[in-house]
Order: sequence, then structure tokens, then C-alpha cells
Amino acid sequence: MPSDVQPVSPDAVPAKPFAVRKARTRFFGLTFDECIRVFFGGNAFVAVIVLALITFFLFREGSAFFGQNRESLRVYRQAGLEYIDIIRQQEADHTALTRYLFAIRMKVVATLREERGAVIQADLEAAKNAVQQLAGAEGGATSTTLVSARARLAEAQKADAALGASINGELAVFDTFAERYSDTVLPVRGLVSDLGEIATGIKSRYIENEDYKVARSQFIQAGKQGEADAIQLREIDFKTEVAAITGILPAYQQINGEFTAALQETVRELPVLPVASLQPRLDRFKVLTQDYVAMFPGIEARLKAWDPLTPVTWSKSFSSFIFGREWLTASFWQDWYGVVPLFVGSLVISLIALIIAVPLGVCAAIYINQVAGPREQKLVKPAIEFISAIPSVVLGFFGIAVLGQTLRALSQFESLSWIPGFPYSERLNALTAGVLLALIAVPTIFTLAEDAINNVPRAFKEASFALGASRLQTIVRIVVPAALSGIVSAVLLGLGRVMGETMVVLLCAGNRIAIPDFTAGLAVAVQPVHTMTGIIAQEMGEVARGGIHYRALFVVGLVLFFIALLLNYLAQKIVRKYRISVG
Amino acid sequence: MVTTTSSRTPLSSPMETPADTPASRTFKVSSVPSEDDRADTLIEIKDFDFYYGTKQALFDINLKLDDKRVTAFIGPSGCGKSTLLRCLNRMNDLIDGTRITRGGVKVRGVDIYGRDVDSIELRKRVGMVFQKSNPFPKSIYENIVYGLRIQGVKSKARLDEVVEKSLRGAALWDEVKDRLHESGLSLSGGQQQRLCIARTIAVEPEVILMDEPCSALDPIATAKVEELIHELKKQFTIIIVTHSMQQAARCSDKTAFFYMGKLIEYADTRTIFMNPANAQTEAYVSGRFG
Repeated sequence: MPSDVQPVSPDAVPAKPFAVRKARTRFFGLTFDECIRVFFGGNAFVAVIVLALITFFLFREGSAFFGQNRESLRVYRQAGLEYIDIIRQQEADHTALTRYLFAIRMKVVATLREERGAVIQADLEAAKNAVQQLAGAEGGATSTTLVSARARLAEAQKADAALGASINGELAVFDTFAERYSDTVLPVRGLVSDLGEIATGIKSRYIENEDYKVARSQFIQAGKQGEADAIQLREIDFKTEVAAITGILPAYQQINGEFTAALQETVRELPVLPVASLQPRLDRFKVLTQDYVAMFPGIEARLKAWDPLTPVTWSKSFSSFIFGREWLTASFWQDWYGVVPLFVGSLVISLIALIIAVPLGVCAAIYINQVAGPREQKLVKPAIEFISAIPSVVLGFFGIAVLGQTLRALSQFESLSWIPGFPYSERLNALTAGVLLALIAVPTIFTLAEDAINNVPRAFKEASFALGASRLQTIVRIVVPAALSGIVSAVLLGLGRVMGETMVVLLCAGNRIAIPDFTAGLAVAVQPVHTMTGIIAQEMGEVARGGIHYRALFVVGLVLFFIALLLNYLAQKIVRKYRISVG
Repeated sequence: MVTTTSSRTPLSSPMETPADTPASRTFKVSSVPSEDDRADTLIEIKDFDFYYGTKQALFDINLKLDDKRVTAFIGPSGCGKSTLLRCLNRMNDLIDGTRITRGGVKVRGVDIYGRDVDSIELRKRVGMVFQKSNPFPKSIYENIVYGLRIQGVKSKARLDEVVEKSLRGAALWDEVKDRLHESGLSLSGGQQQRLCIARTIAVEPEVILMDEPCSALDPIATAKVEELIHELKKQFTIIIVTHSMQQAARCSDKTAFFYMGKLIEYADTRTIFMNPANAQTEAYVSGRFG
């Protein structure tokens, strides 16, 4: 084209090309800068991806539990186990009442011994000590003194035994009464045990048949039709099978009538206790028994209305997990997967840990940040932070070998017996685990609380001092309130740390799967408990993959996951909401 | 009170800066002495040497500060004026490694660094307002009564009375009387600074130390605080550290000029700005360095 070749005027210097194009080197279509960006961005997003994966797999493994649990509950109902458990509960309530009686007896014996046996007891102790001392001294003591001391001991022991016998004698009437009371339940117990055999029989045949079905389908899949046909399937018709159980209703009603009569007959005349002050307890017992008997018609009505074919709802499957008060596996009767005992165990231990760790961590943070000199800071801060570096299994070992022993030994001291729960005999319990967990929570709480206190502007403190406030007043009225949101979130994160800790609780909590007895008041702290984290660590290795037990453990993991999520969310929210805007 | 020969209207006249017009600078300084020029000495600083760790910050300071007057400390950054101010209510005690090697400070004849002096009691008598307004993250009301609460005053009536009196004293009452229970941090910068002044006068000190109280404020807020200073000096002795020589000229009765930790010149404000005896002072106030 002519315009292209137009000559340029000689004085015009050709313009340098204005280079704005991107560099040409590309990897996978990306420039070098973009590659770097992708690399760093990828690292940053790994956390998000991992979190998403964890959530996804927890849900995938856990969610099937509720279906399996529903199936398990269906068999429980249709095989008649549920029916028998209604009667069983009645029997258990009776046992509880018998225990109440026994507790009264213990109390009576203790009171009488205290009243009458003080002198004998003192004699016994003195004689024991004397013998021990003399026997220990060996050479120093002449054999005659030792012999006489031994004679004194024998005498004292005799007197003690005589006292015991006389107390037992006075309680003879009571004992006959208690025995009669406890025997009244025997016919019911016999009935339950007979029915139980039938029901477990139905259930095991059903499960056997299900196993055959699985085997058969596997053979068919493998193309071995012959072997598959050889397996005889016997479908269980629950309705007819269970009729054998529900058919006993008339017999039960008769037994129940006799039981009622026997109970009322027994409590008509209460024995007189040798300790008058405990008589009201026995009167209370009578009222309790009458309440118990009054429940019988309700039980009969429930049995009459019971239908094995009532479908098990999903909500029942959920609630039997979330509100289930029993975690019972590998049972001959029925497995229960109730998270409550584990949750309560975790909670009790965490509370103990927090009660110890919060004052320790927060006060240490206040002291180190506000009061301590640089030398103290240099000593204490690394020490506290080092605690978190100790592997928790080492701490757990320390807990078993040292702390558990020491605490139990301490609890035996007479002078400490005013502490609730002291003395106790279980070396491994919630207290031992809680004290150790406090040690684990302290660094978290300390470090975060110290940060929060450190972030309180210096100007607030100076203003307070300039108005004539002392150091303590400044800390209490200015520094701590200003740092409070940070301190609270530190505590929440400490709680999260404690809730998630596994090794220490597995080693030191005692691992008894039961809801602790809260009627014991604060003594609940010295009961052995099991925890959500502990149960996963303990049982995960032993369960069949894909089984209901396996899935149940995953759901427990999900619960833990949500607790952690909630605590972290709250901690962040609190910090954000109450952050001081310093203008 | 500083009276001016020409009309002094800080709200309308732009602030001069030394760099702008060094030659033509004029300071509006009271040309007539105030009604009673003789004042009692309240604070006496004698042969005062002060160290931060091993670094000496103040050298042999000798100074007598008048009662019920405004004294300004001026000088370039790092000259020790703020350090000296903080020595007057022992705020420097709170900094590690500070020590006094020689001399002392007497308030009404009492050596405040004496063995039996309680620094907490001292600070109730010698209050302080800081460079950056620092109200507590509490309500306006609680900010004012803080000083009384820590002294154990519980009576609601007394606290209410002090709040009103102090806020009126700090010319803030009309602006905040309807929102006493809102956060002190919700106020504007100038209001916050006056709140801090109100908080200080609530404990009824004798001396108020002001450490560059207007350096973070805009001209209008500055003018308000300066007016307030004029009012306050009827009741209180005020010592103000400032970087603004106009402010020193407008507010103070006497001015002390510091340089490199030493007191260079101390005289009536008039003298310092119009007829300084020392060449360094003259160079500084005329804007030739600093």
C-alpha cells in the first residue's frame, strides 16, 4: 500500500517502541509472576482445602451411623428386647430401693460405732501403734513388753469385735426386714430372665440369618450359584416369634399383683432403728416404696400397648445418640451408643482443668506483664511456654506415676478430709486428669491473655497513675477490664485445647463409661470418667470398619469437631465485638 | 490573662509557622504586666540531674515555678522539657532505669523525692494531661469520677456534683450533659482532650502538668483548650510543654527554654519572646532552628 512506504521526514527520530507487552516466557500458560502468585496462593489455601476435606470425610463416615442405629433399634424392638426392658426397669428400680435400705444400715452402724466405740477405737489404735513400735525397735524392747503389748492388742480387738456383734444384734430385726423386702422381687426377676433368653434367641437367629444373606449375595456375585443355593435362609417372622414373649402378660399381671401385695405387706410395719435420728429416713423409704408401687399400673398399661411393629423414627435414632445415657458395646443384650456419659466426662474434666488453669494462667499473665521485672519475665515466660512443648503422653505418664499417687495419698490425710470427695481410693479419676489438663491449658491461656494485656494502650495506664491510682487499682480497674475480651477468648481457646486433649485423659481419667454421680456434689470430681476423645483413641483400633460401632466413633468425632468450631467462633466473635477502638 | 494589643482571634487568623516568615514574625504577647506580677513560688527545682539508664537527660536544672500561673516549657525535640515535666509528679518512676543523681524538686517546700513521700499521694496533688487524649474505655461519667472512686468516694450525690463541676470547669458540660453515659471514646479529639482535663481537675490537684496537650488537635480545638487554660489558672498552677511558640506566647506568664537537657533561659514570656538575653533563645523563638 502506498501509505506504508511513505518516507519519514529526516529530522523526525523514529519513536522507540513502547514496550508494554507481557514477558513471553510462560509455564503452563502462566507468566513467571503468576506462577509465584499461584505457588503462594496455593500454600495459603491448603489450610482451607484440608479443613473442607476433614469436614467432608467426618460427615461421610459418620452420617451412615444414624441409619444403622435405626436398624439396630428396630431389631431391638421387634425381637422383644424393648418389651422386656420395661419390666427390667421395674426390677432395677426395686434394686435401687434395696440399696437405699442398705445405705441406712451403714449409716446406723457408723453412728453407733461413733457413739459407743470411741474408747474402744482409741484403745485399738494405741495398742496397734505400741505393737508396731516395739516390733520395729526389736532389740531395744524386751520381749516381755512386746508380749504384754500384744496381749493388750488382742484384748482391744476382742472388745471391738464384741461391739460389732452387739450392733449387729440390735439390727437383727432391721436385717430380717431388709431381706424380706429384697426377696419380694424374686418372681419378677425370674420372669425377666426367662423372657430374656427367648428374646436374645430371636435376635441372634435374626442376625445369623442376615449374615447368611450377605454370604449368599456374595456367592451369587462371585457366580457360585450352587454354594449360594446351599445356604438355607430362614426368615424371622417377628410377629409370631414375639408372641411367645407378649403372651406372658397375664402371668406377669399375676406376679405383679403378688409383688405389690408383698411390698405393701412388708412396709406396713417398719422396724425401729437403734438410732432415732435416722428413723425419718426409714419413713421416707416407706413413701418411696408407695410411689414405686403406684407406678405399676402404668407399667402394665405400657406393656399392653406395646407393639413390635411400631416403626422406629429417625428422631429416635438421633436422640438415642445425643441424649443416650449409656455407651454400651459388645453386649449380649443390646448395644447402646449414647454420647451423654462421654460428653459429661469431658465436661467435668474440662471444668476441673479450667477452674485450676484460669486463675493460674490469667494471674500469671497479669503478674508477668504488669508487675514483674525483666529478669522474672525472662525466667517465667519461657518456663510456662515450655510446658506446652511437653508431649502429652509424657504428662500422662507423670499423671499416673506421680500425680495420681500423690493426690490419693493426700486425700488419705485426716486433716484434709473436709475436702469433698476426700478420701478416695481410685487413683485415676477426673481430678487427676483435670489437674494435668490444667497444666496443658495454662500455656495457652497465659500466652493469649498476656498478649491481650500487653495490647492495652500504655496511655490508659499512665492516665490512671496520673490520677493517683496505685498499681493494683490500675490493674483491677483499667488494665483487666480493657483486656477482658482478650482474656475471655483466651479462656475459650484454652477450653478448646482441653476438650480436644486425648492422651492425658486416656491415661489418667479412669475410663469408666458412666455418667458420674452428681448427687455426690463436688465429690463428683474424684470419680473415674471416660471422655469423647479417649473413647475414640481407645476403641477405634478394635472396631470393624463400616460397622455401627465404627460409625458411632466418627459421630463422636463430629461432636468434638463442632465443639471446637463453636469455641473458636465464640472466641473470635468476642474479641471482635469488644475490641477497644483507640482513637 | 494574656491581653493582646492587636485583636487576637485564633479562630480566624491563620497560624503562623516559624518556617514561613522568619523575619517578619511577631508574637502577640501581653505588653502590660498582669495585675499582680508578684507570685509565690510553688515548685522549686534545684541542681537537678536526671538519667535514663546511662544517658543523662537533664543537667543541673534550677527553676522556680510560680503559684497560680502558667509556665511554658519550650525547646526543640529531645531537649528534656517533657522529661522535666514528668519528674514533677514522678511519672518517670514508672519507667525502668530512670534515676536522679543530684538535686531535687520541692513542692511547697516538701521534697517530693523524699523517703516518706508517697508518689500516689503526690499524683493526686499534681495532675497530668497527656499529649494524646487518653480517656478510659468507659463512659464519660466514669472517666470523670475514676479519680474519686479510687479514693473510695461512694456517694452518688457527691460524684454527680463533681462530674458537673469538672465538666463545666473544662467547658465541656454543655456539649456532653445529655450523654454522660456514652463512651468517652465516642467524643471528638478536642472533646476527648477536654474530658481528660476535666478528669484531672475532678480530683482537685494544685498543679496541672500539660504535656503538649494540643499537638494532636486541630486549630479550633486548640483554641478552646487555650481558652480553658486561661480559665484554669485562676484555680490551678499550670505547667505546659509545647512545641508551638505561639501557644507559649499566648498562654503562659513565664517561659523556660531548654536545649540539650539544659535550661538555657527562664524569664517572663514577654522577655523571652521580645528581648531574650541568650542568643540560642533568640535563634529558637525567631525560628532559626528547632
